[in-house]
Amino acid sequence: MRRSTVFLLLFVLAAGSVPGAGRQGPVRGPLGFSVEEFRLRNGLRVILSVDNRLPLVTVAVGYGAGTIRERPGQEGLAYLLENLMFQGSENVGPLQHIGFVQKVGGELNATTTIDKTLFHQTLPSSYLALALWLESDRMKSLSITGAAIQRTRAEIVQAHRGRLASDPYLASFTEFDRLLFPDHAYGHPLIGSGEGMEGLAEADIEAFHRAHYVPNNAVLAIVGDIDPDRTKELVARYFETIPAGDDLPAPAKPEFRKESDTVARFVPIRLSSAGFHMGFRFYPLQPGEIDVLRILVCLLFEGDTARLRNRLLRRDRTSQFVSAVLEERLSVAALKVFSLNTNADMVNRSERAILSELEKLRLSTVSQEELNRARRRYKLSYYDRVSTLSGRALFIIDAAFAGTALDSLGADLERALKVEPPALLTFVSRYFTPQNRVVLELGPR
Amino acid sequence: MSGRASSRHSSGRAAGLAALALLAALAAPPMAGQERFRRTPPLPDSQTVELKLPAVGTSVLRNGLTVATAVQPDVPSVTLQLVVMAGEADSPSALPGLAALTARMIGKGTRLLSAENLENMVASVGGRFSTSTLMDYTVLSMRVLPENLDRAIYVLRVMALEATFSERELAGVRRIAYGELLEQKKDPEVLAWRHLLRRLFEDHPYGTAVYADDVIKFITARDVATFYDRYYRPTNAAVLVSGNIDAADAALKVSSLFGGWAGPPVGRSVIPPPRPNARERVCYVEAPDVANAAVFAGNVIMDASDPDFFPFLVLKQILGGTTRSRLFMNLRESRGYAYYAFSETEFFRSCGVYWARALVGPQAIVPAAREILREIGILAGEPAAAAEIEEAKSYLVGNLPMHFDSPQGFADWMARYVALGLDEAHWDKGPERYKLVNAEQVRGVAKEHLSANPLLVIVGRPEWLGLVAGEFAAVEVYDARGKLLRVLPKGEMP
Repeated sequence: MRRSTVFLLLFVLAAGSVPGAGRQGPVRGPLGFSVEEFRLRNGLRVILSVDNRLPLVTVAVGYGAGTIRERPGQEGLAYLLENLMFQGSENVGPLQHIGFVQKVGGELNATTTIDKTLFHQTLPSSYLALALWLESDRMKSLSITGAAIQRTRAEIVQAHRGRLASDPYLASFTEFDRLLFPDHAYGHPLIGSGEGMEGLAEADIEAFHRAHYVPNNAVLAIVGDIDPDRTKELVARYFETIPAGDDLPAPAKPEFRKESDTVARFVPIRLSSAGFHMGFRFYPLQPGEIDVLRILVCLLFEGDTARLRNRLLRRDRTSQFVSAVLEERLSVAALKVFSLNTNADMVNRSERAILSELEKLRLSTVSQEELNRARRRYKLSYYDRVSTLSGRALFIIDAAFAGTALDSLGADLERALKVEPPALLTFVSRYFTPQNRVVLELGPR
Repeated sequence: MSGRASSRHSSGRAAGLAALALLAALAAPPMAGQERFRRTPPLPDSQTVELKLPAVGTSVLRNGLTVATAVQPDVPSVTLQLVVMAGEADSPSALPGLAALTARMIGKGTRLLSAENLENMVASVGGRFSTSTLMDYTVLSMRVLPENLDRAIYVLRVMALEATFSERELAGVRRIAYGELLEQKKDPEVLAWRHLLRRLFEDHPYGTAVYADDVIKFITARDVATFYDRYYRPTNAAVLVSGNIDAADAALKVSSLFGGWAGPPVGRSVIPPPRPNARERVCYVEAPDVANAAVFAGNVIMDASDPDFFPFLVLKQILGGTTRSRLFMNLRESRGYAYYAFSETEFFRSCGVYWARALVGPQAIVPAAREILREIGILAGEPAAAAEIEEAKSYLVGNLPMHFDSPQGFADWMARYVALGLDEAHWDKGPERYKLVNAEQVRGVAKEHLSANPLLVIVGRPEWLGLVAGEFAAVEVYDARGKLLRVLPKGEMP
């Protein structure tokens, strides 16, 4: 999320003190579904989207309570709070939230990202009121007890250590993030080693909850087979009397130290094979450049014929496995590549192949046909993201936190589909530089 | 795009700790002064909305090919599927995995086009191509945007109908499949499921229809071509189109491109399923690479068209459908034996299978196995409570529409519906059928299908066998490929 949009969001969240302030009728954007937004007196932003395909509804709540809100020494706090949200509230016992949803055939999940913690459930639409009752109860009166903290924290740390023990590469992802985002707020892990979480004081946990789990720091999205008027009544009933919290400052702007060359490190793994992470950090991006980057990543990695996937896995066969992800951490974007190789020589050859392909992009124009393929892939992926009820609800919440106007949902897709070859060339030349590159190699000691 | 690293750290709760919720119910008295409506959960809307799915329009071309369409106007993509009525069970018993390898070779070349040419064609329509091979049928699937459907139909036709099979491409496919098999050897539940099938379906195609890493390397391009020639025929296939389409137009385009596909009918008989296991039988599969043990208990049951189908699913739900069900509550929440414990069903063309499963540490293998058998025995002998039956039905009715939420989920369900020749009860009449299930039916299917001794399969490290030996009448010991190593009589230690 860009800095300016954070301010915009806070302004919007805080401004509403009159029922219906900022209310607008349903708007239908280029993605083919309509959305309608209103705000409660306490600042809770509510977005509805009707979809009558199935007798289901997704109720999702996003709080601006991601890892960026943790201070040094508080690593794991946001994730701990995510888990504590299932430990009961004034009228809902510990873990009863899950039981209520499952009892009627529903499914639920929760997620913590850098800027948000998200809770969502999909259940029969006749149980919409149940979902709102459950979410409002824990927004209003979450019960945080010492016993619940201890139990939850122990479970998280144990599960995390189990994953670290069973996945020989997992720790390297954490280390790579630290190198790629060398700013604590942007680069520290969700859990880390677990030590930070074990050192959290009960007062810190309560303070984090009090500051961030408030209606004026939240977005409620309801997507599915709903009657908008009835839904608005229910939302007002369950959420309107929940008191607002204090306004929050915008997340800190990242401060990355300037590198004179590529950052390259090595970490040993307990395997005889090898591998590497390679990443490029893009910050600050100019308006419109994120759209170019999204198409570029498709062109390089999306599908078997994409340039780098084809080169590493089919043509050179230097990698056994390759994954790539474009990660957007608020205003910072990064391309992260992970490769598994048989030995150090293959690691070197794969790294050189990636740089060689990027150099080709810098020196020669991409054909229209290749660009069209990337555009089509990107469009299909984009639509896939909003093709389920929960997917659409999370998409809407992401957009709300990013400050995207509802009538502009999907505008970024349209912009990306208009990216032309010269823009790709310019982007590669500007950003795929050694100074923006981080490499972490893995291998036996 | 996918990657191991993601900024979104997911943390599912579904397999979590729901059971404690029941214990804690009513624990906290409401504070004075809060609004009354907050004190109790609201009732559902009185008028429940029925599940209404798009009708599946079906026609048969002159060459015998079935064409099926389903219109979803609000879905932004189209899923195109070629369903071939030949699955793993159709692989020769000496060549398990041949059906899946054949499917994975589609798109790896034609007489005129290389694998790379074909991948470029898929990319040119912005499509995603995938294959999946189930027990009785295979699905070649391509998802595209609606504006690319015409071209996608053509691409699928070229890939599937003009396929040729080279040793070079097969070597690559085999290598990937082999790597997957080695990886799966670390998963005790995959090994347990395979072994359950092997033993329940001895001398039956369903028993041999699984990959085997010691066999896959011997499968040749000629084997693949022979399998393809035998089963990839219009009379043995269906083209399915679902999503944002004009049904008539889509059917016409499929007809024009697939109508010229010729081939004689396929003789494919249905082999009757074996009788359910009845004797007390325990199999221990030695798997050196697993971190935990899997305990499975299951048996052969009726097929999906049987009148017992819906009552049995209610029964399965009671046994172990969710974290609120008996197995989870007992094995995890009450006794702490298992990381989780659930029950499952799977239905093939001629029968089905149910099984209970638990993932446990070595010390809990025997007590977990005993509790699983005990829970199955209780359900077979003692009628389930009416409230339990109603809760299971409520879950099944409410959960069914979720399967149709994503385009892929809808397409998967449609392929199953067409391939197994199921009726409307397996489309959008499912909720009504669940609602009609009564306590008497549940008791009846429990007695009918759970009374026989289930086959018990335990997968664990070789050194854990000593914990199991002596605890049961006899223990058959197998290696991870399913080869019988020895039989330990009761009381004999390894």
